[in-house]
Amino acid sequence: MTEPVQLPEGFATLEPFVARWSLRTSAERDRARGDSTEEEREAFYAAAQPLLEAALSYLDGFPARQLGEKEQRLMDLVLSLAHVSLAVEVQKEMEEQHARQRNDMPITRSVTDPA
Amino acid sequence: MNIDVASYQPPADQTAWLGTDPIPAKAYYDPDYYELERQAIFMRTWLTIGHVCELLEPGSFIRRDLEFAKASILIVRGKDGVIRGFHNACTHRGTQLEGRGEGKANAFICPYHRWNFGLDGALRSAPDFERFYTTKENCALKPVSVDVCGGMIFVNLDPEPAQSLHEFLGEYIVERLETIPAAKATDFCEYTYEIDANWKLTYDNFQESYHLKFIHPRTGAASYTPENPFGYPENYGFHGVHRSQQFWPNYNPDVTTPVQQTVFPMLAGYATEKGLMPDPTNREYYAVFPGFFIFGSPTQHFSHVVYPISATRSRGVIRLYWVGDWETASDRFAREYCLAIAREVHVEDVNVIKAGQRGLNSGALEHIHFQALEGLCRHLYLVSNGIVEAYKAEQEAAGEAQ
Ligand code: FES
Ligand SMILES: [Fe+2]
Repeated sequence: MTEPVQLPEGFATLEPFVARWSLRTSAERDRARGDSTEEEREAFYAAAQPLLEAALSYLDGFPARQLGEKEQRLMDLVLSLAHVSLAVEVQKEMEEQHARQRNDMPITRSVTDPA
Repeated sequence: MNIDVASYQPPADQTAWLGTDPIPAKAYYDPDYYELERQAIFMRTWLTIGHVCELLEPGSFIRRDLEFAKASILIVRGKDGVIRGFHNACTHRGTQLEGRGEGKANAFICPYHRWNFGLDGALRSAPDFERFYTTKENCALKPVSVDVCGGMIFVNLDPEPAQSLHEFLGEYIVERLETIPAAKATDFCEYTYEIDANWKLTYDNFQESYHLKFIHPRTGAASYTPENPFGYPENYGFHGVHRSQQFWPNYNPDVTTPVQQTVFPMLAGYATEKGLMPDPTNREYYAVFPGFFIFGSPTQHFSHVVYPISATRSRGVIRLYWVGDWETASDRFAREYCLAIAREVHVEDVNVIKAGQRGLNSGALEHIHFQALEGLCRHLYLVSNGIVEAYKAEQEAAGEAQ
């Protein structure tokens, strides 16, 4: 049985990450980073980072506020990489400690959230 | 860029005029001292509270609660386009008019007995008003002084401020606030915190570089090099009660990660496209007394306000102001990344500030110490304490005159 295709062509390797990481708001993406395990973050980063530039230049070809469903999913997925990359590239083994502290500073508004 | 990084000289001599005395620790925990600061400073100084981009249309309003004054303030753009401030308190029996933090209104209608106030604060109508023993003119909403500089909205809880906002800020800060990209901002990201720490202790953390290497070993890595291992700034400036510093750019950062490498050119593109480059405020940080600072850079920008709640509790609001909406997926991603990375660094500061407060609370330490490159912290204490001392003298003189 094949799963329905959720992302635009060329991004099939990111399909397994849609459920966990394709999220609508910055606060949700931050929370997903905090709720995830190191393995989940690393697997997502390993799959998504090499496709980041390709995904953005693909999405740049559409009117940014009227994306199709698949494009929207890809956009929301890629936005999670902004958060997860900080865990994987910057914090590394300090991520657990950092995650606890992040709760003290909630995101209350984001320009990238849907209007 | 062809810059000789080895020529970096810490600007220690620029803070020499501030003196070298140890600083009384009491100023950072004592409730009596805080009460003096509250009266002398916060109840009668211009305080940043928002941005004009929050009040785009007539009828747009924001509500801001200032815990130190137990006050709730409405700031509203009138039908005439003028921005006004009012206490969020019905003049009948005090009921708060607005529970929303922001929104649009044609009038403020009290939920209790339906007194109806115009956006200019006037009492327009009140049921059965003939039975009252007063006039509508006497029942206008209590005004709060409001003014704007560089898009930033300031309020002053003194009904008759001793200085206008522009007099208070002074020419230099006015000119800079009007120049930085935030002056043209149309939207912003925001994150906030409440912390068990004195407002100066909290604010000071963000105006010294001494801690960077220890508290931000990863997130600040690009700023530490053999020439300037602590990432100290290049210059300090003192402008009356306000301050500025110029960050050292580290022209040769060797720590950039793959995602950063994708984002930084996008930000440079944004800054160029929006006409924000070249920017004279690129590496400048402006510290506006008492609790506001803003970093001028068009690409790694943020502003931060610390409001006191009590002697040992504060609230911080950090915003990233953007000029124009994002127009592409890349632009949107870059803005998400900026929000995430700015917060990434600030989050790391919270625990160590709280630990500082816990250490001070017992009163075991009589003094704390600031080094030459913590001169901005020393300046904040000296300025605040000067205002507190002047206030005490004023109160004593008033007492004797009676
Ligand atoms: S308290 Fe507002 S109308 Fe009575
Ligand atoms: Fe810090």
